[in-house]
Amino acid sequence: MATDTINPTPLRSQAPGTRRQGNRKQGNRKQARRNTLIGWTFILPNFLGFLAFTLIPVLAAFALAFMEWTSFSAPKWVGLANFERMLGSDSFWVALRNTLLYALGHVPLTLALALILAMLLNRKLKGIGFFRVAIFFPYITSLVAVAVVWNMLFSPDSGPINQFLQFVGVANPPGWTSSSDWAMPAVILTSVWRDMGYYMILYLAGLQAIPTELYEAAEVDGASAWQRFWNVTLPSLRPTTFFVVVMLTVSSFKVFDLIVVMTNGGPGRSTTVLSQLIYQEGIGEGKFGYSSAISLVLFLIVLTVTVLQFKLQQRRER
Amino acid sequence: MTNLTEDLRAEVAPGGTAGHERGLAERRSLRARRARTVNVVIYAVLVVLVAALLVPFLWMLSSSLKENNQVFTVPIQWIPEEFVWSNYSDIWTRIPMMGYLQNSLYLSVIITFLQVLTGSLAAYGFSKIRFPGRDVLFLGYIATIAVPWQAYMVPQYIMMQQLGLTNSFNALILLQAFGAFGVFLMRQYYMTIPDELCEAARIDGLSEYGIWARVILPLSKPALASLALLTFVNTWNDYMGPFIYLTSNRLWTVQLGLRSFVGQFDAEFAMIMTGSVISVVPILIIFLIGQRYFIQGIATSGMKG
Amino acid sequence: MKRTTLAAIALAATASLGLTACAGAAGPAETADAGGKTTLSVSVWNYEGTPEFKALFDGYEAAHPDVNIEPVDILADDYPQKVTTMLAGGDTTDVLTMKNVTDYSRYANNGQLQEINSVVDSLDKDNLAGLDAFDLDGKYFAAPYRQDFWLLYYNKDLFKAAGLDEPKNITWDQYAELAKKLTGTAPDGKRVYGTYQHYWRSTVQAIAAAQNDGDLIGGDYSFAKDQYNMTLDLQKSGAMLDFGTAMSQKTSYRSMFETAQTAMMPMGSWYISGIVAAKQAGKTTVDWGLAQLPQKSAGGDTTTFGSPTAFAVNKNAKHSDEAKNFIEWASGAEGAKAIAKIGVVPALQTADVTAEYFKLPGLPTDELSKAAFSPDKTVLEMPVSDKSAATDKILTQEHELVMVGERSIDDGIAEMGKRVKDEVLK
Repeated sequence: MATDTINPTPLRSQAPGTRRQGNRKQGNRKQARRNTLIGWTFILPNFLGFLAFTLIPVLAAFALAFMEWTSFSAPKWVGLANFERMLGSDSFWVALRNTLLYALGHVPLTLALALILAMLLNRKLKGIGFFRVAIFFPYITSLVAVAVVWNMLFSPDSGPINQFLQFVGVANPPGWTSSSDWAMPAVILTSVWRDMGYYMILYLAGLQAIPTELYEAAEVDGASAWQRFWNVTLPSLRPTTFFVVVMLTVSSFKVFDLIVVMTNGGPGRSTTVLSQLIYQEGIGEGKFGYSSAISLVLFLIVLTVTVLQFKLQQRRER
Repeated sequence: MTNLTEDLRAEVAPGGTAGHERGLAERRSLRARRARTVNVVIYAVLVVLVAALLVPFLWMLSSSLKENNQVFTVPIQWIPEEFVWSNYSDIWTRIPMMGYLQNSLYLSVIITFLQVLTGSLAAYGFSKIRFPGRDVLFLGYIATIAVPWQAYMVPQYIMMQQLGLTNSFNALILLQAFGAFGVFLMRQYYMTIPDELCEAARIDGLSEYGIWARVILPLSKPALASLALLTFVNTWNDYMGPFIYLTSNRLWTVQLGLRSFVGQFDAEFAMIMTGSVISVVPILIIFLIGQRYFIQGIATSGMKG
Repeated sequence: MKRTTLAAIALAATASLGLTACAGAAGPAETADAGGKTTLSVSVWNYEGTPEFKALFDGYEAAHPDVNIEPVDILADDYPQKVTTMLAGGDTTDVLTMKNVTDYSRYANNGQLQEINSVVDSLDKDNLAGLDAFDLDGKYFAAPYRQDFWLLYYNKDLFKAAGLDEPKNITWDQYAELAKKLTGTAPDGKRVYGTYQHYWRSTVQAIAAAQNDGDLIGGDYSFAKDQYNMTLDLQKSGAMLDFGTAMSQKTSYRSMFETAQTAMMPMGSWYISGIVAAKQAGKTTVDWGLAQLPQKSAGGDTTTFGSPTAFAVNKNAKHSDEAKNFIEWASGAEGAKAIAKIGVVPALQTADVTAEYFKLPGLPTDELSKAAFSPDKTVLEMPVSDKSAATDKILTQEHELVMVGERSIDDGIAEMGKRVKDEVLK
């Protein structure tokens, strides 16, 4: 498959003749073996560490999903019992629903804002360094501070957000973190606010890779700012966007810290997510087999989403 | 190094923009005028935005200058009744803050260095060399990111314990330096670099390692900078990893040290906030150094080193 | 650019090399077995901030010169998580401190702890509060050295200003009445609440269970109804900071009491040493006193609730005998006196120990405070069972919904019972 992504723009400055000749012609077996060898030498330093310290424990955890294990004694094989228990558990479905809701809100909003911010800050302005730091700041501010201040902003009676809503004519503004229905939106807004600077950094790096020539050519063709964004920026950013979307999806499905500090899953179970359940069942109650089963399900969901995105990206590249 | 890249680029790109110079010049003068208005608007937007972003940090700052029992008041008190500057001098003696900072710095620097180095190497293998099984392997790589750490933390710990690595920096370095994050990030960035550059370099007789070192690395400074920055920040702010693996107090990092102000029934939040403010400073320095690599932008050229 | 990159890498490399030499300079170096001494390791939380550990260790070392105690310091926040992980890895720490009875039951039931009946038999069983909690079918796997219980803290100045008598032997109805009278505005314009009940579910549920013989893991929670009625009424009348605000703003009970924002506060006895220290450091000027926890009805015994803290011996301990010896000492009279001296409430409750406790400078000396310190009955906060952790989670979730007003008391109580029966007891 082709790995070049600058290609898909319809602009003239491309040099179509030069691509895709080299490799195919001399694509004999010897070359393939040599490539494999060289490829592996590049990957190996990282892969060895990854294999030993991440992959093997992950596989061990997956095996535990079919066992009963308290961590103090030898594991016992129980087949699918953990999964049966999971499917029959109300808490699991509540947490799954909450996790999906969170991801649905968090991923698109953060993605859009991170991109807009990156575009805004990818220019030469006096003091740009300061603004970039400032936007990254929520990510490095203590979570306790974030939770306290946002909960204050969201305060149902005296919070500035509700006062503003009342000012613009909303008669019954939401109860935010003290209401089951609105706690999740409140958490999503806070997490978007916190994470957008992080992903902005990734987009900033991606924007640097777009050759200026592409913009100049587009301008010569009389493309408007919007067309330039649509036809140059977005397609060129595709690999970055793929990365950001995957990382965002994964981190949304694994969200833990912010929710624990901000609402601790409440009120009731309205913001309880899967990773909290995994934590409570595993470390909290010593049911490591059961918590591994939940992790496995979480993993399969995220894997499905990622593979779909991967395929989609590959097709676009072709 | 940079010259080599430009030469290669010149070889690859056959003219193209030369005939349009005059049109461009006219548009540019028009743009310069418009740019000034745009800048004013952007500044206005940014200032408002920054104010909104910094509010919790201001709370942190204000809390760090309070007596402990003044921190969580209802309603929030933004300006301390009395400024307790002594928090900033006390924290160094209340806990071995200097040692904690050193430990954090040590871990963050080593992990960041290894992650950037091995990540960018592996990413080259995953993006610029074709060999069978590559994409499956890559997918397996990023799939593990999807597994929550809580799930495999205990098996991982048992393994480390058996290797005799717990309660040492080595455990954390080995765990965190070889993550999939860096590989993934760098691979995606390398994919935006045209393959023709590599082809041209191959024709010029460079080995794959030479291409990585002399063509790709110089071109991927923004990505390297963002990877280094994010890895540094994540390692610096990590709490659970050091908490599980570092038992001896003398190995503790800043994040662990600050949590030692949390007791069984209450916590000294004024001190925690003081420490948090202090621990932001190194990140700021790293950020301000690192973000210089994002500066070229569209205004000049994305491809010039 | 090229040179700066190289410089950065070089800098990183030198920094890392240079740091290797001095990294790990934070705390004191570990002590090893030396000079024929046995090193006994004990897992503790927040060693610097929990002076009872140092008091116990110093006292024991003084009495046993051949033993050297090495604390394994773990952060208080996630103590059980770390201990569980360490034990899974085959850790050999000798003595494990049991932060709560839920963890105790998990470790003991899974065979991670050594039976220590011989130690318990040699202790003053009748006066050792909280010992029953560790009885698992006649076997003991830990012995308590500390037992906290709940009482009522009050602000003497605010009571005087309102012209009210001290809250001696009051009922919950009287408590609610007092709280409403004490609510108002301080001379400096600050709002003063009549009382503050922290957002832990225990401030309603554990009190109700203790005083109504309710079973918190039984699946029927109708015993908590009156307590909820009273609490919600206080919240509605504005005599108490509302639950939603307290919870989301992470209100500190210490701030509420030490800045005189509340006149009364039911809280655990651990706070005594905290407020004494704050007063001595000049961080608060509150004139405070202690009273018995309010009761259901007047004239009867004082019933409160509490939770013990205990030491246990790890199954993989390297020095089991020394560990048992240490526990015997810590739960006995000498250990009790060592921690009473610094204001921590020992599990051993004898006249001797109480006398030692009230020698602590800064304690209120009035009769009510002293009387409050000896409740007639202390019920365990949460029963010891492998079901307590799961039940606790459900009760907390439903408690929140009742307190923010999303569920009526009756619905909330019904839902607690239904979920505990479905998800835990089944």
